[in-house]
Amino acid sequence: MATGVPSQTESTGEIRIANKISEIARVADLVDRFGARHKFSNEVMVALNVSLDEILNNIISYGYDDTAHHDILVRLTLCGGNVEVVVEDDGRPFDPRLAPAPRSSAKPRTEGGVGLHFVRSLTDGHEYASRDGINRLRLTKKL
Amino acid sequence: MKLVEEVTEDVTVVEAYGRLDSTTAKEFGDRLISLIQAGRSAIVVDLKNIAYISSAGFRALLIANKATSERQGKLALCGVIGEVKRLFDIGAFTDEFLIYPTQADGIGKLRQ
Repeated sequence: MATGVPSQTESTGEIRIANKISEIARVADLVDRFGARHKFSNEVMVALNVSLDEILNNIISYGYDDTAHHDILVRLTLCGGNVEVVVEDDGRPFDPRLAPAPRSSAKPRTEGGVGLHFVRSLTDGHEYASRDGINRLRLTKKL
Repeated sequence: MKLVEEVTEDVTVVEAYGRLDSTTAKEFGDRLISLIQAGRSAIVVDLKNIAYISSAGFRALLIANKATSERQGKLALCGVIGEVKRLFDIGAFTDEFLIYPTQADGIGKLRQ
């Protein structure tokens, strides 16, 4: 299945990528274009790009039991005074909401756990559901 | 991402441009490790032209930090401003690194 070119309407932007780390750059490009068109602040742009990097890295790195090609869908939608980000994949269900916050300790940090801490800190809401083999994460960010 | 390197008074300054994320962290980290393994014992990494940094980017910085200290060298960051500074604060990474406001500050301190 070929991955798609990005598509957009007035208030949505969407891209389907393959489950490869390098594909995350195409999502960041979509966010940058969508954000520029709708005049997002730098704070919103960074929140979306970092959150998507963490989420997509998790899916691509840990979400599949095979080495096959899988599509991942990312959709951005303007909704009231928010931007909504939806990520859909067909990998193993993983609920980012369940990841523990990093312990605060004096020991040198590794990055484990901090990725999802970023997502929680940078966005205003998140929902996660798995149904019929499709995992769907929805993030909300106030503009 | 683009990396621009310059050596001033035995301090190697690495300026990074663009995104420091899952797609660029390996190239960035590999370059720092190469410099460290080549014996550069004083390195300043300037992040002022970085749009954002994700946990992959922090991991590369932490690994380079550890590699430098294992060789009794010093690695410092500068240009940690704006949204990048905010990410350092959210991730509680500010205390993990030597951080100076500017390249000049970093070079001055690392020469000592």
